[in-house]
Amino acid sequence: MRRNTRKNWDKHRPRRRRAPEKSDRQRDHEANERAKHIVSPSRETKRLLEGIGTPRKTPFKADPFQLEALASLEYEDVLVTAPTGSGKTWIAREKIRRLLDSGRRAWYTSPLKALTNSKYQEFVDEFGVDKVGILTGDRKENSDAPLLVGTTEIYRNQLFDSLRGGIEVSADLVVLDEAHYLADEERGHVWEEAIILTPPRIRLLLLSATIGNAHEFALWLEEIRGVRCGVITGPLKRPVPLRSAALLPDKRLLPLMDDNGRLNSEILQMIERDRER
Amino acid sequence: MPEMPPATLLAALDGYNLLPAIVFLPTRRRCDQAASEAALTRRDPNDSRREARRDFMRAFVEQHPEVRGHRHWDTIIRGGVASHHAGHIPAWKLVIEKLMSAGLLDAIFATATVAAGVDFPARSVVLTGADARTGSGWRSLSASEMQQMTGRAGRRGRDNVGFVIAAPGQHQDPQRIAQLLKAPPDPLVSQFRATYTTLLNLLDAYGSFVSVREIAERSFAYRDFARQIAQLERSRSESEEKIHTTLKEAACDIPMSAVLGLERLLGIRARLQEAKPQTRAEVFHRWLNEVVKPGRVVGIGRSGRRLVMVTEKRDGNIRGFREDGRHASFPQERIGRVYAPVFRLKEEEIERAFDEIRERGRDLTLPEPRLRDADAEETDALKIIDDSIENLLPQNSNQQHCTDVIWQLHTTAEDYERASRRIEALREEVWLPFEQRARVLAIFGYLDYEAEKVTERGRWLADLHMDRPLLVGEALEARLFNSLEPKQLAGIMAALTADEDRDYGELELDDNVVTSLARFEDIGFKVSAEEWKHGLEPTPELNFSAAGAAVRWAGGMHWSDIVRETRAEEGDLFRMFSRTGEALLQIAGLRRSHPEAANMAAAVAEMVLREPIR
Repeated sequence: MRRNTRKNWDKHRPRRRRAPEKSDRQRDHEANERAKHIVSPSRETKRLLEGIGTPRKTPFKADPFQLEALASLEYEDVLVTAPTGSGKTWIAREKIRRLLDSGRRAWYTSPLKALTNSKYQEFVDEFGVDKVGILTGDRKENSDAPLLVGTTEIYRNQLFDSLRGGIEVSADLVVLDEAHYLADEERGHVWEEAIILTPPRIRLLLLSATIGNAHEFALWLEEIRGVRCGVITGPLKRPVPLRSAALLPDKRLLPLMDDNGRLNSEILQMIERDRER
Repeated sequence: MPEMPPATLLAALDGYNLLPAIVFLPTRRRCDQAASEAALTRRDPNDSRREARRDFMRAFVEQHPEVRGHRHWDTIIRGGVASHHAGHIPAWKLVIEKLMSAGLLDAIFATATVAAGVDFPARSVVLTGADARTGSGWRSLSASEMQQMTGRAGRRGRDNVGFVIAAPGQHQDPQRIAQLLKAPPDPLVSQFRATYTTLLNLLDAYGSFVSVREIAERSFAYRDFARQIAQLERSRSESEEKIHTTLKEAACDIPMSAVLGLERLLGIRARLQEAKPQTRAEVFHRWLNEVVKPGRVVGIGRSGRRLVMVTEKRDGNIRGFREDGRHASFPQERIGRVYAPVFRLKEEEIERAFDEIRERGRDLTLPEPRLRDADAEETDALKIIDDSIENLLPQNSNQQHCTDVIWQLHTTAEDYERASRRIEALREEVWLPFEQRARVLAIFGYLDYEAEKVTERGRWLADLHMDRPLLVGEALEARLFNSLEPKQLAGIMAALTADEDRDYGELELDDNVVTSLARFEDIGFKVSAEEWKHGLEPTPELNFSAAGAAVRWAGGMHWSDIVRETRAEEGDLFRMFSRTGEALLQIAGLRRSHPEAANMAAAVAEMVLREPIR
């Protein structure tokens, strides 16, 4: 009966989202309560889980690596390698903001249509719908806008066109997001072509996941473009520290590694027992 | 270690306060199952969150009606869990990502592909194995993949700590997980390669092969080659130096060329005795010409799993029936296995033939030729070489000790020659595929090889930015599309752009489409045959089942109907239609050279790229 009334009332209620922070913290509390009933964690496990939970809200402050990248972009190409979620996009956004404010232009490429669409939305929200255009294989809107968002293929095709006597690519900055796609078996060659064919007068900002040969990659860029390329490695510490654990079939939770980085001896023993069986 | 039931896993994680979590599972199906199972046995006790999810999704549906009534709708609302993988349409994936960001989900079951690209972090990332699924089996996760996955652990501003958790699973190996977590990131490896599009555009822009080659040699791949070449040149001069000094010290009046000549002769001798891969391909090719004939059953591909009864053979192209009774046609090179019996080409016979091959295929497989059998004249050749070697060695009796010196220098001479050959190969490696493609394009008139120029028709082909532009170009030139209804054109392009092996249901095709597809295939054979002659991989087969689905979609069928009739996964259909639409838009761009086809393509692209595809 009660549910029924609520359902009807629901239809007329204005839509709203619940504040995530609050429900999160509330859930942390609830889970702590439940934990007491389910397992009694060992001292080791307690230490593993120490500090888990939601931090206090702190105002955003740019990380030194972000500011360094921004400063380098004033006079050279920049390759930023950093893990996901550590704030690479912020660098691109701030640089684009500066360019747009001074009447200049930028191209932002991403590997996937879904990413392109969400970036487009993000930039529209940030800079206004007049300032941003989108170009993908099946979507073409506001293609004269000072900021273009599109797939890397479309950007590469524009380079081909301009080389064959078409319209110049009129950008002051090209951002290649997810630049590590260069190693993608199917489509990686498109990234290489885009990099090789981008005129040296256009500043390049490459945003990549962490890679093993960042300096070699930057040297290559310098050789073929004749422009210096700075390598900015993302924050040494992850924005949120990572701990590793193993959940055992008996539902115990153990640290995966000991303090010296070796596999937890208890897990090791368990694996060996498993093998003998 | 068997996997934990999903509900048990989530309960345990919840007990340690480790939710929300992203749980990585090897296959799409397992993700879907895990989500439904978890939702059945667990019920989010928090009423307000359930309500919040419902509100959220109702609001989302107003902008994305295609997710209305999705089969996993209740799983999410009731259980607070979802599955996320390439089998879902983008809008569905989006709503899940948004729900996760809003803190309204407890867990997402995902395949590893999620780790690349989309950004939705969680408190914990759960790995149920140290391997990733491939098309044909399992392979170890790479350090980069591990990093992509652990990159999702710990939400900035919402978590003090993120966790990566190794949970029980069939392919679990905590030791390897630990190693991968500590491993340095993988280096970026170049995948630079030649394509028709790149070649035509660059040649048209720069006007000579030399310039195109220069561009190719600026690739990241070539940078590595250039360094290897420098290194090889160094080691080659070291070998040269060593040969010179050794000869001098032994006071042997033998030229360097004799030492190298001996090495070459020995090399040829060894190669004569061993089958080289190129020559083996040649022998295999000749053998296929001989044994493949109407009435025989053949297996396609390296595995030879897909059987075809051959009915016709022409210019190296094969026609026949598949086991399901559909027509098949393909270049002879795709055959990987031939079965001995020759059956009569009668309808009732064909079924029996397949049964027999299925049952006793192993015994009935014709043995492939080995190179040895092919070379009867080998012995003579060896004798001639042995004589030449004899002649190279010093004849003079006071130079006898020099024979020993030459033999001693053999390994050094081998190093020298190996370096030379490797240098030559590296220099050609980046350019050769372009040259091969240039020759094929020249045969079809898109490029003038002698003048190093793109022809008039090559110019519009350069604007066709899609896979296999040459095939489409030839179809346009043959006016293949002009006899079609617009929706049928969608079918043809779908057959071309779809993944070769994916099944989009066995929907019936009308005769007009089948005839056009057959003609399209014929064009494909001609192209493939030239490509093969020039050392290029033959192109994949057309996917007829994609054509059936696309004709209906372009004809206005409703999304839910097409999903039901094809029984394909929504995400696969979405990608196939989306690629078809893009290919059509490319053709639509050829208004000047092919106005009729371009107009038709533009119109049908509208039909293909309708909700939810756009």
